[in-house]
Formats: sequence, C-alpha cells, structure tokens
Amino acid sequence: MPDQQGVELLEQFDNWAELRNKLREVAVRHSEWAGIPMPLFDRDLSLVMEPKYPLTEVIKVVEQVHHEEDGPPDDRIDPATLRNTFWSSRDRCWVHIQEQDGKIVWFRSGDFNHVALMLATLQASKAWGIEQERNAIDLLATLVRHHQFKQYLLTGMLLESSKRSGVFYLFRRLRPTIAMSFKGRPRVLCTLCMHPIGYYSDSWAGAMAPTDDVIAHLMLMRGDEHMFWRRCNQHPSWVKQSGI
Amino acid sequence: MGEIGILNVGAGDTKLVFDPNKPEDSARAARIVRDMIQRGFAILVEVDDGKGGKTFARATDFREDTYEYIIADDPAKAPETDAETPAVPTRRRRRVVPATDTRGVAVARSAGG
Repeated sequence: MPDQQGVELLEQFDNWAELRNKLREVAVRHSEWAGIPMPLFDRDLSLVMEPKYPLTEVIKVVEQVHHEEDGPPDDRIDPATLRNTFWSSRDRCWVHIQEQDGKIVWFRSGDFNHVALMLATLQASKAWGIEQERNAIDLLATLVRHHQFKQYLLTGMLLESSKRSGVFYLFRRLRPTIAMSFKGRPRVLCTLCMHPIGYYSDSWAGAMAPTDDVIAHLMLMRGDEHMFWRRCNQHPSWVKQSGI
Repeated sequence: MGEIGILNVGAGDTKLVFDPNKPEDSARAARIVRDMIQRGFAILVEVDDGKGGKTFARATDFREDTYEYIIADDPAKAPETDAETPAVPTRRRRRVVPATDTRGVAVARSAGG
C-alpha cells in the first residue's frame, strides 16, 4: 500500500486527482460501495453505465451539459437510402450498399485496425489514478499463483483454465478476455468484454482501474462461470472490439 | 479474521474486515455485504473444494446476525440412467461459510463492453 506522502506527491502531477478524490468522498457518503465513475467531459468518451446504476441519469446530465457547452456536433452529410449492411470478414470492416441518384453504390466503413480504440483507451486513462491501479495489483497478487502474477506484470496477461468447463481464459489488461478451447482442434471460442459499473464508449477502458477489470473477470469466472458469460458482451475474434 | 475486497472506482479496492475482536467493524461490514447482495453485486468467496484445496463460489445470501455467507453449491451430478431406472431429480444444496474464516471479492453489476 503506497504511503500517504507518496500518494500526495503523485497527485501533484495528476490534474484529475482532486475530482477523483471528491467523487470517492461522495461515494462513501452515499453508500456507493463500488464508487462513482468519473465523467471525462469528452464527447468521444462518454460513459456507458450499468443499466441499474442509481446515478446513471445524473452522470448523463453532467456529460450532456458539458457537450452543450462545447456546441453542437458537426453536421453530417445526408445519407442516401441505405439498402443493406454486412460485415466483411476478409476486410474486417462493414460494407454498406445504398442508393444514390438512382444508382446502387457501396462503400466500406469502420477501421481496418484498432488503433483508434487504442488511442481512445489511452485518452480514457485520465480517469484512473496510479494509487488505484497499485491497490488493484496488490489485490491480484493475493489471488493468483506466482507465475501468473509475474506473467501479468511483465505481459499484461495471465492464463487460467476453468476446472468446471475446461475452457481456457486469457485475461488481459485493457482488452477483452479470450475464451479458448483445446479439446480437439485448438480454437478461440469468443472474447468476453465486461466492466463493473461502466466503461468509456468506443474504447477498452472501464470506469475502474485496468487491473480491477481483470480481477472482476477472473473472480466471476472462478466463482460463477455462467454468470460471467451472461454478464459479458461476447465478441467474435475477428471484430476490432475483440482486441485480437 | 475474514475480509472482503470491494472493487472500487475511486480506491482500486476497499477492504471490509470480519474480526471477532472488533464487533463494530464486523457489524458495519455485515450491513454492507447484505446491502451489496441486495443491489446485485457478485460476492465471490473462497471455500473448500471438497478435495483438500480451495476454490471460489458466489454467495447468494448473507446472514447479518451470524456473519455467514450462504453459498449455493452446484447440483450433484445426476446418476447414469437407462430405460428401467428413472432419473432422480437433483436439488441445489446450500452451504454456510463463516465470514470470519474466509476471504472474498465483491464485484459490482456490470455494463457490457
């Protein structure tokens, strides 16, 4: 556990520390045991909340107010009539077919790689403090074996199989968990994405520090694997959200 | 002494302690655990796996007066059946785990991703 002087020194360099600490105080006063996520006041990184979180509407209002102060979003070009949309596994993008001036045209949209997601995740890191991540790493150390912890510190990943189902899970910091089967031909089943409380839109960033998300995945897998799969969004391995 | 870590946005994780020598702290911890279960938190608690080792299981309830987690065990594996032997219905067994003897992690309800 970092000492108070060390924390204060770190926070001198963190412009968001004061807001983060205030939210922590408010959360304790209002018995929000998992805390209050921090709005980033960025139109591209709005919070997507767990539907029953009691302060969801308040956070939406706060973010909305800030967006209104920014001014309206850029005008969009009027789209022609959209005929169809489908996913191209080969090109890893969406293909849209639409009608323009009596002709059928098509175009691709979406990113061919996931650099935009990575940059958005980097941006969202303002929400977390080093102290919070350090506490989460300390907790993880008590929950896994030494070699798993070493792997996690060095690579940001750790592997564990379910004694129940035999599925192997590759838990990753700031990426969805990869579920794999080695029965017969080794294959990726899907990737599992879930964040306690909420996450920042169009990024891999959760409201909690990155290792807290990893712990949430690991513990749910261990304690109630069915609930883990129910709570996660399941992304196929070929979409950019999978982080593969 | 048992403890439970709550994954928390502002703190990384916060710890609740069940210590028989600190009744006020234990009572507060019990109230919070009960509240979390009612709010839909997943409380994952370390339990014996029946083979000499440890595993984690989800607590479905908590007794505030006795500081005990209620764990729903997996249903017992149904015996093999054939045409002459009807299947025996299984019932989910519940187990009681003292909070003062174990550790756990509390995970809030989640948004997808």
